[in-house]
This record gives sequence, structure tokens and C-alpha cells, in this order.
Amino acid sequence: MKIWLRQHRFAVMDAFARLGRNFGSFAFNVLVVAIALALPFAGLTILENVRPISTQLAVEPEISIFMAMDTPRERANALAPEIRQVLQANRTAGVLEFIPRENALGALKERSGLSDAITTLGNNPLPDGYVLKLAGFNNAKDAGRVDEIAVQLKALPGVEYVQVDSAWVKRLAALLNVLRLALLFLAVTLGVVVVAVVFNTIRLQVLTQREEIEVSRLVGATDGFICRPFYYSGALLGLAAGALALGAVALGLRPLNAAVAEFARLYASEFQLMPLGPAVTTLLLLLSAILGLSGAMLSVRRHLGRAA
Amino acid sequence: MAMIEFHEVSKLYAGSAAALSQVSLSIASGELVFLAGPSGAGKSTLLKMIAAIERPTSGRVLVNGQDIGHIKPRGLPYLRRKLGLILQEQRLLMDRSVLANVMLPLIVTGAPGEDAEKRARAALGKVGLLSKAASMPQSLSGGEQQRVAIARAIVHRPQVILADEPTANLDRDSANLVLSTLKAFHGAGVTCIVSTHDEYFLDRADRVIYLSQGRVTDAWQRTPVEEDVA
Repeated sequence: MKIWLRQHRFAVMDAFARLGRNFGSFAFNVLVVAIALALPFAGLTILENVRPISTQLAVEPEISIFMAMDTPRERANALAPEIRQVLQANRTAGVLEFIPRENALGALKERSGLSDAITTLGNNPLPDGYVLKLAGFNNAKDAGRVDEIAVQLKALPGVEYVQVDSAWVKRLAALLNVLRLALLFLAVTLGVVVVAVVFNTIRLQVLTQREEIEVSRLVGATDGFICRPFYYSGALLGLAAGALALGAVALGLRPLNAAVAEFARLYASEFQLMPLGPAVTTLLLLLSAILGLSGAMLSVRRHLGRAA
Repeated sequence: MAMIEFHEVSKLYAGSAAALSQVSLSIASGELVFLAGPSGAGKSTLLKMIAAIERPTSGRVLVNGQDIGHIKPRGLPYLRRKLGLILQEQRLLMDRSVLANVMLPLIVTGAPGEDAEKRARAALGKVGLLSKAASMPQSLSGGEQQRVAIARAIVHRPQVILADEPTANLDRDSANLVLSTLKAFHGAGVTCIVSTHDEYFLDRADRVIYLSQGRVTDAWQRTPVEEDVA
């Protein structure tokens, strides 16, 4: 175990020594890889910031159920168990809220700012109604089922009109899916770019250190001993590039936030783009190091035989 | 007990004459043997086969009973750790200090840094280069570089030292230092196989194997009576 640790310590020091000897080249490679990583990192930052908003909008599609104007209150109250039966039949959970017509009118007056105009109407023009918030509808495919439930609700006695927001849910869910897929595609593509850049960097290192590799083999070095410094070099390159990319994205949020704040103020919101949290940041740094390590491993396996 | 055995070993390279042809020989543990012969006789090939740098086209090469033709790549490092190689070209790492070059055979085995440095300094002392430990190899003369290569070959106390023309670039004093170093190791029970053109050494050898065109053409061993006369 001691020998194993000692050899790893030697490999790390050797990797740093190699980086030190070619610092300019290392810094340039870090910059190239950081640019490739910055794009998906920026996309992820925006998606992580927007996700809470999109979740609020998309998670619970609503169905508004309006009773006929002449439906007595008793009948309106008795509709609740029937609505729940429909939900049970469709194996769907949801939160049902009864909105008496007086409450609906009060809310309309308060929110619309047309209190005086509504008062002049005399009679309350609004019917009793229910608001049904459905749970577990997170994508466009699920949202299609909302229409089926609405049809069944419309058939209940006393129900005049059913308003569904499933189209909105479908569009939003589809849009989020497209965004997620686009980001995934971008991340995979640029991940391949990172592996390719590290692959080439390590290839050049293997070629320039061919003599050292041969001599090490002649004096009894194992393949593990020879490969380890290259692996550490690749992982260090990925890690440094990941840190640089995250730093660049965090810095880039400042000017972006100035514009976003102005836009959000128009909607009475204080929305701001925040940097990624420590857990995600750590995960991304780890991922960057793994990408670097993968590129190095592929390169060393491909080129070490030729160097021998 | 035989440390090195060649059984009808041949080595053929495509498009050229046989580098070795039906060579059979045996070298006992602790022997000091010189290989002599003109350039292209097969001396270097023979040494490289012992280190498994080259593999025989036919025949068997045994090192301490281990058939190098059957050693898997993973096992090669462990064979080479028993050997000390001094090749014609010194093959020093020019971007590392003399001390770091000599420490390398110990570092690859995972030896502690302090211990490796101590032993490397002792090896440099044996070849008279302790004062150059911190120097870079390119600042040394050809002879000094050769002595660094010798220090690197002996630092890990190998069972067998293989030296290919170790005195080719050296003046007489340095060559004598090399010979006395090898003899000291021989005296300590290390098997030494040295290829050379140098008649001065051959005159002082205990056993010489002559090679020509890949074949063993002559071999002699100094008898105790001859030793007394010498």
C-alpha cells in the first residue's frame, strides 16, 4: 500500500513537473478546453435558474369547472365526490377547490381593478365553480390525458363549461424537453471535443517523452508507472479547464443579470440568474477531470505501444 | 548453477543475415564473461536477448531459469529489475539531473525517495561522479555520461549486469575505473556479461566468448594455473 501511494505521489509530482516545463502549452490547452466546457456550463446555469419557474408553471395543470347559472348550491356541493370519482377512474391525483360564485366575484373585483364597473352590473354574473389542480403531469405525453378527464367532467350533471390549460402545459413541457435535449446534445458534443483535445495533448506528450518511456521500461518500470503521470496530466488539464469555465460563466452572469433585472422589473419580478450551487459545481469539476482522464487514457493506450 | 542459458538460439531480421545462428552457451551465477568479436558479430543482440529487448526467432534463452520467450509483457519489468543495463548509447534523460537519472531504477520500484537518493549517491561515488550529482547530463563529457549510465545500472544491486561496449568512449583511466567497478560487483557475486573490443580488458578476462557472424567461434576460460601466471 505504501509503495502504491508513493508511486502515485511520484506520478502527481511528475505530472506537475511536466506541466511546469511546458506551462505555456498547458495554459493554451486549458483555455481551449475551457471554451468548450463553458457553453454547456452556461446552458446548465440558465436551465437551473429557469427550472424553478418552469416547475411552478408546468407541474400542476389546472381544470376550471363552471356550473350552470341555475344550478342550486346543494347540487354544486354534491358534485365534489363525483369529480373525485372521475379522478379515481383515471388513476389521477389532484387537489379540488370549490369556488362559490360570491368568492369568485370578490376575487375578480380585487384582481382586475374594475370593482366599480362590476358593481354596476347588479347581479353576480359568475357561476359556482371548481378549480382542479392535477398532479403528476410533467410532460407533453401526460398532458394529453388532461383532455380525456375534461371530457368526462363536462358530462357530469350541472356542469356548463370546462376550461383546460393542457395546451399550455403541452407547449411548455415540449419546450422544456427540447431545451433539455439540446443542452444534452451540446454537452455530449463538447464533451467529445474535450476528450479529443486532451487526447491530442497527451499524444504529443507521449511522443516527446518517448525516450523517457523507453528508458523507464529498460530499468523495470511497469506500464502503470509509465501511464500514471499522463493520466494525472489529463485529469489536471480537465480540472483546470472546468474551474476556468465555471469561473468565466459566473463572471458572465454579472453583465447578463443587469439586463435580466431590467426585464424582470417590467413584470414586477426580482428574478436574477445565480451561479450554480456548490454540489453542482463540485459535480461539474469532477466531470471535467473525468473527461480529461478519459482523453488521457484513450491516448496513452493508443500511443504507448508505438512509443515503446 | 547457470544464470544465463542459450539453447540453439537464432535471431533473424527480415532482409538481412542472421544476427545470431544456433548459439548455445551457459554462464554461471557470479561469472564475469566478456563477449568479443567484430562489429555485427551479434554481441549486442545476444545482450538484448538476455534483457528481453529482443526475442529469439528460434531456440530458448533462460535467465535464472526463466524462459524469456514465455514471459508475458506484464512480467518483463520484474525481469529487468534483476538486470543492470549499460548500453552503447547511454540513454540518459537530458532534462533530469544526474542524480535523478541514477535514482530512476529505484523510483520505478517504489523505493522511498530518501533511500533512493542515498543509494544513488553511493552509486555515483563508486564511479567517481558524486560531485556531479546535481549537474545536468548534457554538461558532462561522453566518458562521464557513460559512468552515469553505469551508476544507474548498478544502483539497484542487480543480479546480472549487461554491459555493451561500456568503455568505448572512455580514456584509459576511466576505462580502468569501469573495469574495477564491474570486477567489484563480480566479486560480490553479481553475474557480469560485457561486450568489448578492448584487447586490454580481454587480456585480463577470466572467460571470453568470441562471436563472428552470429556464431560462437571460440571460447576460453582462464584456468587457475593461468591466473597464477597472469
